[in-house]
Amino acid sequence: MASERYNRQVILAGFGEGSQLLLTKAKVLVIGAGGLGCPALQYLAAAGIGCLGIADDDTINLSNLHRQVLFSTADIGKLKVNVARERLLKMNPDIEIISHPVCLQKRNILDILRNYDFILDGTDNFTARYLINDACALLGKPLIFAAVSGFEGQLAIFNVPDEEGQRTNYRDLFPIPPQPGEIKSCAENGILGVLPGVIGTMAAAETIKLITGIGRPLINKLLHYNLLNMEQYELNISPAANYSLPKTEDEFLNRVNNDSCELTHGYAEIDITTLFKLQKEASTLIVDVRERHEFPILDNHIYTKIPMSEFSAFLETDIQAKNIIFICQQGIRSVTAAELTQEKYGSTKKIYNLKGGIAKWRNHFLTF
Amino acid sequence: MKIELISFGKISDFIKNQDIEITDISNTDELKTYLERSFPELANTKYKLALNKDVVQENRNISNHDTVAIMPPFSGG
Repeated sequence: MASERYNRQVILAGFGEGSQLLLTKAKVLVIGAGGLGCPALQYLAAAGIGCLGIADDDTINLSNLHRQVLFSTADIGKLKVNVARERLLKMNPDIEIISHPVCLQKRNILDILRNYDFILDGTDNFTARYLINDACALLGKPLIFAAVSGFEGQLAIFNVPDEEGQRTNYRDLFPIPPQPGEIKSCAENGILGVLPGVIGTMAAAETIKLITGIGRPLINKLLHYNLLNMEQYELNISPAANYSLPKTEDEFLNRVNNDSCELTHGYAEIDITTLFKLQKEASTLIVDVRERHEFPILDNHIYTKIPMSEFSAFLETDIQAKNIIFICQQGIRSVTAAELTQEKYGSTKKIYNLKGGIAKWRNHFLTF
Repeated sequence: MKIELISFGKISDFIKNQDIEITDISNTDELKTYLERSFPELANTKYKLALNKDVVQENRNISNHDTVAIMPPFSGG
């Protein structure tokens, strides 16, 4: 353990080689390689976490770069987990870094979480946060929760017993997830790049404290941070009795009425009648994402051609229309387009996908 | 009696930090009803109250000079 790399923290009174060994043995999963995940990953990798997992299925876009400090302009369009892994390994080749380029869902989350001892949630939506919370509660995994909004941040540690053996989770604060659009996302509300930097770094510090047992981590506490006036406010969380969590894996997987676990998409599936109805509205853009060689060729006055191969350039532009309908041959590629657009605009625009695509409604598209 | 209100996130857009004078309110359930009536936007928002920094999980009595924090959930990352 006489590694020079960690010397400055190992020589700290109250830290020492024992703590460094605990970091080396720790397996930490960071979910979301975004504004919170990037700084957290940097410090966890630098500190020598032995096994660091990164879960994110997103690619890098230009509007990420002011806060997602692991990525450079040349990385636009690449998978976040791949770029992050490469950068972190350059910084510290002595650790293991595992990338999970997947969207965490009910059916895959348990298998991924099982491989880790500590989970850091740096995601950007309530669906993911409740899914992660419930999965961590089921598996008893310590969860470091970090979230931001505007100029403010929240930080907490869940599923770790305090001195009285009491454990809490996110549902003890907010048992029911907010409705879509109730709380604005960073894409809608805006975010000062340095804020998730501060909160993500604090989350890394809490993770290190939890692993090594130093200090007083935020167990059963919610820390609120205000960047504008540098004020912090700490609340004590106790268990609530107004909700229930799945107690077995089967229950977790099969809970259909669960408000949290099924990924709800932020776009609507529509049929051709709805498409024609929306088409009459002034602020509707209908985008055909098929490649240029595909048939039938549609009237380009009505259907704007933006092939998937050119889609990222289109996403960089500022779309004026309020309603955006995506179509393709089978209604599958247009789902990807709808998802990508939804990620950018959140609930500020109405996004639709023509279910079944042109193939299903072929007669309606034939020009006479 | 007088209590201090502290609000966070988007709740602070419509409930500023302030001391309020309340009459006929003795517990957090009554305070919730009063707040949602005084600030209708609160009724459409998820929030958690904390009384003197302890999250309120069941109805609690309020005393003069208590502090009540109103916290919304954050999801951004």
